[in-house]
Amino acid sequence: MENYLVALGVTAGLYALMAIGLNVIWGMAGLVNLGLVGFFAVGAYTSALLTTKLGVAIGVGMVAGAVAGGVAGALVALITARLRGDYLAIVTLGFAESLRTTASNETWLTNGTDGISGIPGPWRSVLTPSEFNLAYLALVVVIVLIAYLLAQRLSYSPFGRVLRAIRDDEQVAAVAGKPVLAFKVLAFAIGCTALGLAGALYAHYTSFVVPDIFVPLLTLYIKMALLSGGVGNNRGAVLGGLVVVIFLEGTRFITPYIPWLGAVQAAALQQFLVTAALLVVLRFRTRGLVPEPPDHPILRRT
Amino acid sequence: MSTAQFRLTRRSVLAGSAAALAAPYIARAQGVPLTLGILTPLTGAGGYDGPRMMKAIQAVAAQVNDAGGLLGRKITFVIEDDQTNPEAAVRAARKLVDVDKVPVIMGTWASAVTSAVAPVCWESKTFLTTTSGADTITKLPHQGYLIRTQPNNYLQGAKHAEFIASTGAKKVGLLSIQAPFAQPTQERVKDVLAKNGSSLTGGLIYEPNKTSYRSEVDQILRGSPDMVYLNGYTPDVSVLLRDLYRAGYDGPRFTQSYALTSKAVESLPKEVTEGTYTVQPSADIDSPAYANAAKLLGIKDPDSYETQAVDWMSLVALSIAKAKAATGTAIRDTVRSVSQGAGTKVYSAVDGLTILAKGGEVNYEGASGPCDFTDIGDIQDCKFRYLVVKNGALTFLKVV
Repeated sequence: MENYLVALGVTAGLYALMAIGLNVIWGMAGLVNLGLVGFFAVGAYTSALLTTKLGVAIGVGMVAGAVAGGVAGALVALITARLRGDYLAIVTLGFAESLRTTASNETWLTNGTDGISGIPGPWRSVLTPSEFNLAYLALVVVIVLIAYLLAQRLSYSPFGRVLRAIRDDEQVAAVAGKPVLAFKVLAFAIGCTALGLAGALYAHYTSFVVPDIFVPLLTLYIKMALLSGGVGNNRGAVLGGLVVVIFLEGTRFITPYIPWLGAVQAAALQQFLVTAALLVVLRFRTRGLVPEPPDHPILRRT
Repeated sequence: MSTAQFRLTRRSVLAGSAAALAAPYIARAQGVPLTLGILTPLTGAGGYDGPRMMKAIQAVAAQVNDAGGLLGRKITFVIEDDQTNPEAAVRAARKLVDVDKVPVIMGTWASAVTSAVAPVCWESKTFLTTTSGADTITKLPHQGYLIRTQPNNYLQGAKHAEFIASTGAKKVGLLSIQAPFAQPTQERVKDVLAKNGSSLTGGLIYEPNKTSYRSEVDQILRGSPDMVYLNGYTPDVSVLLRDLYRAGYDGPRFTQSYALTSKAVESLPKEVTEGTYTVQPSADIDSPAYANAAKLLGIKDPDSYETQAVDWMSLVALSIAKAKAATGTAIRDTVRSVSQGAGTKVYSAVDGLTILAKGGEVNYEGASGPCDFTDIGDIQDCKFRYLVVKNGALTFLKVV
């Protein structure tokens, strides 16, 4: 049981890290990014390839994964500079899907649909599996904490204020002399760095990556995490990551108590319950469990 | 008020409710059921095969339970859905391994899912049985905690090519869906065709989920093949068959039986499927194990997945009974001593258990094949069952 809870903690931590990244892009800058899983994949593949094929140290691989995620984010932001709202959403969704298709066809690089197995994990050879689990949880918690603190700083810095200004009205921000495109690109790059890092952490945790992991469903989970936690709030992002994992895994333990359901119906019901839970949260907490604060947490407006 | 009177304190309530919660557990302990894990695709791309494999596993277990159970205990299952998605499957496997502490997980289907779940299994010394065919799976460092009853691509590719050559086809076109088996099968088919006086005139890999494959079909027909091998799944093979017909190709076609099920044949126009060969790994047609499985499942022709599921549960039951221990390591260490060797040949779990109970040795001959495993968990050899579509229905051709 402990192992399971620890593994869920790692998953929740990774979801939270991605939600923090999404919060910079979507919550603060108001850019709809439905290609999250693509940047997650860039991070995962970068670190997996560097460590398995070139024998690079795991820490270096992870940093490279994060950087690659950020660079990919900046590129996508530049390409989509003129797109907003639904159009941006569609293009980013397409970006993630074309990345997945590329990963499954460029066999020479990514090993195609066979995936890359045997990705090393930090201290994996010297620790027992449960110790490794715990150590990894500690690592993920520390990284999420750092990401959270950085994102908080960002949110209340002048940079964060500009992002919110762009989110609320791009033209007004431009009229006020803010280089809107540069801010958007930076917001994308920063958010995608977190996504790339989450991908690298995932790869070294499970030791296996394959294109099938990077399906749009994962993007929706993260979106769900931020929606239920509170868009625009970093605390909400972290909480949301936890909530989604609790929804996803908690439903496993509910369905066995409904004896007249067969396993197939129970499996369908699980997915239904996850959706229903989200709907309930959003019906009664339209701005998420922890709404975006109107004020700086310390320096209150008088 | 005397102090001896019972008082409802927080402490006594806590103690009482703890006792109440523990009571059923203590009561259960006398006949603790033996809990095994099933992890199959109940939703997603494998949603057609997963539930049927699950039912087959349960049917064998029910038979074993009726005959007195395993180690004096009743078999029960914890069933999780792998959603045909590696990420979800890993979470589900973790739950089975860490919460339910199952000694064995049966039923992964997609190769990507199996490759993702396998590390969780071998690290926690849990046995894994699968139908995934990708060659890479048994090459993982699984320390023996994995067997698959599906012949790997190398074996399948060779047998398919031999059959195709035996029909007299000289120029073969091969269309494969993008999957782990695509490239290895293409290479193997090409080699074996060449050895048998035939040749591969065109091979290409296509993307899943397209509504038309006309350009792929045109490309293959450019090599003017006299046999087209469609190596995909039902949704895309159905489209391919239609597009081949529309493109005016009327030669024979060849595909896996899971890609052209009897249901698919019914739903497609007769002229589209007529003369298509299908193949599936199989036991000997006169194998008693196949007949047993058909009777057990109440189906006339159980398919490859159902028979494999029957074999997993049978092998696991026999291994646990022989090892007298229900752990993943015990199953790993014993499975080959009940699946192969000099023991009495048995064709069902219950027959094998009877012999083991008397102290005998068994060699389980399965419904999907002889179930003899190599050191890395592949099956050593396997028969293949060929059907052909005649007058809009799949008819039996031969078992080779």
